[in-house]
Parts: sequence; C-alpha cells; structure tokens
Amino acid sequence: MATKIFKQNTKVLFCSLLLLGLLAVSSSTLATEVPAPGPRELIRAAMEHWRGVTSYSEMTMTIHRSDWERSFSMQAWTEGDKLSLVRVTEPKRDAGNGTLVKDQSMWTFSPKINRILKVPSSMMNQSWMGSDFSNKDISKSTDIIDQYDHRLLKSEDLGDHVVYTIESIPHEEAAVVWGKEIVSIRDDFILLRQEFWDQDDILVKEMEATEITIMDDRTIASRMRMYKLETPDEWTEMIVDDIDFDIELDANLFTLSNLRNPRQ
Amino acid sequence: MTGLGSHFKIILTLSWRNLWRNHRRTAIMLGAISVGVWAMIFMTSLMRGMVDDMLNQGIRNLPGHIQIQHPDFLDDPSVVNSIGEPGGELLTALTQNGTRSWANRIRVPAVIASERESRGINLIGIEPAAEADITGLPAQISAGRFLESNQDKGVIIGAKLAERLETRLGKRVVIMSQDPDNNIAERGFRIVGIYQAELAAQEEFNVFAARATLQKLLKIEGLVSQIVLVDHDYRDVESLYRRVEAATPDGLEVKPWYEIDTYLAAMFNLMDGFVLVWVIIIFLALSFGLVNTLVMAIFERVREIGLIQALGMRPGLILYQILLESLLLLLIGLALGNLLALVTIKPLESGLDLSAVAEGMAMMGVGSVIYPSLTLYDVLLANVVVVLLGILTSILPAWRASQLDPVRALNTH
Repeated sequence: MATKIFKQNTKVLFCSLLLLGLLAVSSSTLATEVPAPGPRELIRAAMEHWRGVTSYSEMTMTIHRSDWERSFSMQAWTEGDKLSLVRVTEPKRDAGNGTLVKDQSMWTFSPKINRILKVPSSMMNQSWMGSDFSNKDISKSTDIIDQYDHRLLKSEDLGDHVVYTIESIPHEEAAVVWGKEIVSIRDDFILLRQEFWDQDDILVKEMEATEITIMDDRTIASRMRMYKLETPDEWTEMIVDDIDFDIELDANLFTLSNLRNPRQ
Repeated sequence: MTGLGSHFKIILTLSWRNLWRNHRRTAIMLGAISVGVWAMIFMTSLMRGMVDDMLNQGIRNLPGHIQIQHPDFLDDPSVVNSIGEPGGELLTALTQNGTRSWANRIRVPAVIASERESRGINLIGIEPAAEADITGLPAQISAGRFLESNQDKGVIIGAKLAERLETRLGKRVVIMSQDPDNNIAERGFRIVGIYQAELAAQEEFNVFAARATLQKLLKIEGLVSQIVLVDHDYRDVESLYRRVEAATPDGLEVKPWYEIDTYLAAMFNLMDGFVLVWVIIIFLALSFGLVNTLVMAIFERVREIGLIQALGMRPGLILYQILLESLLLLLIGLALGNLLALVTIKPLESGLDLSAVAEGMAMMGVGSVIYPSLTLYDVLLANVVVVLLGILTSILPAWRASQLDPVRALNTH
C-alpha cells in the first residue's frame, strides 16, 4: 500500500523539487542577467537557470488532514530539470522506496517486493496519498514555456525585490486541465505563489512559498504549501531541511540499477 | 372409421350443445384458457423484446456484427495490438455490395482528467461518417454536436461522465494514454458533444474522438485497433463472415458477434427453448382446469352416456364427441386469448416504459423501455402446444367415458 502511494506521489515530489530548483537560483547569480520582464522570457530564464544545476537535498513532506497528519523524510538528487532520484528514509516502513525520473519516464522501486515498476500513464494523474499535489503539477517542467500563452499582469516593487505576476493560459491542445495559472515570481526567481484556476475562473488550488531562506549560498523557498481552496484545513507541505548545490554526482546515479541497489 | 366421417355433423352438434349446457362453467374455462394463452403470448413477446434489445445493444457495443482485429486484441486491448488499415483484397471485400457498412476503430484504455477529477475510460477513435450505422451514436447526442470528420479535434463524452468529472460541454479535458513504446501520450481536448446512452455504465466509460486525431496522439499513423462490419440482420451474418474471412490476410482474426460475446450468443440460442418451457408451464396450470371441467361434464352425464350407448352409439363416437367438445373449448379459448394478446401488445409496440425500475434493468443490460416483439413463431407455438397438449390431456377422461358399461351407467341414479 505504502509503495503504491509512494509511486503515485513521487512525481509530485519532483514537482516540488523542480520548483525548488526554480527557486534555488540565487539572486547573486542572476543579478548579472536580469531578464527583460517579458512573461515568457521570465519563465524561460528561470527554467534555463535550473538547467545544469545539480543538487542533493534532505526534505520533509507533511500531509495534513483535519483528523490526521503524516510526515515523510526523504533524500533527493537532481540534475537539471530532467533527472531526479528520490528515496524515502523515514518512516521505517516506507524507507527504501525510491523513484527515478528521466525525461518523461518514471520508475519506482519498492524493497518490499524487490521490483522496479515503470509508472504507466494511467497513474500519472493521481494524487499522492491523498496529498494535495497532483502529478500534473510537474508537467510544468519545461512545458509551461511552450504549452502556455503568458501575460504579465503586474510587476510590484516591494522594496528589495520586484514581484512579477504572470498569467499563463494553456494552449487549446495542451495536456493541461486548468483554465489558467497565475504565477508570482520574484526577480530572483523565487516562485512565491502559483494559483490553479479552473475553466470557469474559479480558483481551485494554490501553492505558496511560506518560508524563504538562504541555504548553501542560494535563496530558496524552503517551505511550500499546497492546498485546495475547497478544503483549507487540508494541505501538504514540503520543507527543505538541507540542500547542497553543484555537487559531483556519480554517473550511474540516475540509472535503474542504482534505483534498485543504492550505492551512494 | 367410416362412421366418424358420416356422423361428423351430428357429433359436432352434440359437442357444441353439450358445451353450452353449463354455460357458466364453460365461460370460466374459456376465461382461464384465454388468459393463459394471453399470458403465453404477451409475456413471450415482452421477453423477446427484452432479449432483442439486449442483443441489439450488446452488438452495438461490441460493436458490429463482425470484427477484424489482432489475434491478441480481445485479451489485451492495448495499442500494441493494432492492425493496419484495410487494403487490397480485404478493402475490396469490405466495399463490395452486401456489406451494409464498415468502419475502422481505435480502442485504447485511457485516463480522462478535468480540473477536479480523473477517471479511467475506454477511448474510442471513430470515423464519424460510418459510425451512424454502427452504434447509433449520433442519435444519442443530447448536447453539442457529433464529430464532423476523421480529423475532428473535439471529444464526445457521456452525460454521466461529465457529471463525475464536474465538467460540461465546451470545456477542455485532458486525455492520457500510452503510445506503442509505452511513452505517455496526452493531449487536451475540447468537449464538443455530450451523449446519453441507455446504460449509465457506457456513458461513464466510453469516450469518442476522431480516428485520425487519435492516431496522431498515439503515434500509430496508419494503424487501427479494429475493423467493424455491420450486416443487414444480426441473425444471419454467416455469408458475410465467410466472405470477409477469406479476404482477410493471415495473422488477423475475424470474429462474428456470437463468438466475441458468447453470453449474447447463449441468450440468443436459449430464447427459443425458453419460450417453449414458458408456454408449457402455463399450459400445465391450465390443464388441471381443463381436465377438471371435462371430468365434471362427463360425471354429470353418466346416465345420458349410458343411454346413448344403449341406443347404439359406439364407444369410439363417444370418445370422439368428448374430444371434439374439448377441442371446441380450446379453439374458442385460443381465439379469445390471441385476440386479447394482439389487443394488448399492439398499443405497446411503441415501447413499454419501465423507467421506474431502470437501474435493475440496466444491470441486465436492458434499456428502460421494452419494445414487445410479437413473432409468428411464438404465436403458432403457443397455439399448437395448447391444442396438442389440450387434446392429449382430454384423452383420458374421454376414454373413460367411452368405456362406461351402459347397464351400470343407466342405473347410476
């Protein structure tokens, strides 16, 4: 059961990871090349910056419901926006469950059954352990650049930073269910807020950076919360406990054999 | 037996008059027979109607009377088990006269998602022009439009599914499936039509898009899942089946509907036997009344029978007379029963609405409206069974009457 749940949820993790990456770009590195505030360029620049960055992080994910709460600890490695590997370390019964993502494909490994499974398309749309992340949330990887039309709604000067609010409307044939997404990005590429609106212009869910800290010399959103507006007392929170950037990663890190037999 | 022929008129008169001596008893018996016959014919026509409906719907859902597909497709309806669009000899056979209509179809399992829900579905790629004759889908569109071409970019979903997805006409949904290399194939589709099927299960499960659009999405250009053929009558598809099978290249599987859905085939084959059993059961109930009536009629007439025997009537004629009496009773009852059945079935032929119990009917795979189907075969069967078995059950009392000893009979009272 836990395996299955994990499987469904891993993509969500990557979503978060990816966003982390998006956010991970420090203001100092960006200062030299602040993009013209064209909305599409803004998002593209954020993505480009994510490219080529390697990271290792330790995270905690908390799923909160009105009558229960559950937390996972996990390790994650990423390289660029195409490769990621996540492993659960706590709680014990879920420890060792791993997931590998390469481009669009995704595999999971469960030590209990000692099997690697390729996640089929039918499971890509499911939410995770009743969490508030859906696998669709990661399809914003680089798709969000090309599959949406972007429009800058406003740019606010908040003293230290400028915050850009961008409205992204998916193309007719894009594999996106939302009517529109509204993204708030700080000029140092911290994603402050992402709103998912349905096709009747009703806000369905949103993700919010609730804590921004500096780790390993980069500013990142270290705490993010995703919740649906219909159920505000149900949310999922991702907390980055520790993160290292630009580290050496083994060449075989993002392979199926490493997914099965951890070597790092 | 020359006597029988020459005395026929007298015997007939005697039987007829005897029949109406106790007119109340005869009327009751006539009532019983006509109600019984009515029940036989009426219920049979309802059952026939239901089974016809079930077969038609079942065949429409298969769909078609004959299907050509990859040999593994029925066991594993995956995109991997696709076949090429028909060409050469097969195409000639398909377009030849005698095939009512045929169409290519794509069928893959998929997932459909709206902003709030996602569900597993059966994604069907159709050729809109050919589909009308195969599934009757265009007639089921309750809102919006039907697909317009093989390249149409819209999708048609069932009303029930729209409800589950909390979406509606004009909205965009995302459909996800897999291409033959197991990569995710996904795309946004706008809902251009909502259909209402007789069965909610289909509404929730079947989603229709245009054939060429799906081929592009699934990266199977030039390939289809099935070729579907419809013949003029589902009861007689043998000749078309043989012709198409001969023209189909090796490696493809051709199957008529009764091999694809053996449950439907069993229903179809069982039906005749079922009707016979039903008719006989009703007759058994009737026969007690019939025998009782005859036995009473004879019991009352013991002296009289003794008298006419003493006057010279042969036992054979007595047997004959009583059987004729029974036959007359049966024939009048049958005439009334048939008339009653006809009068009750005719007005219902436009459909008997059972929507109050629609859910239970749906579980059987039957729509909520029954169209009684009156067939000559069933009417003849009911009549023949009643006459034959009726005479048969009358033989015993009649034979006993003919065997009365005149002396004893005359002294009975």
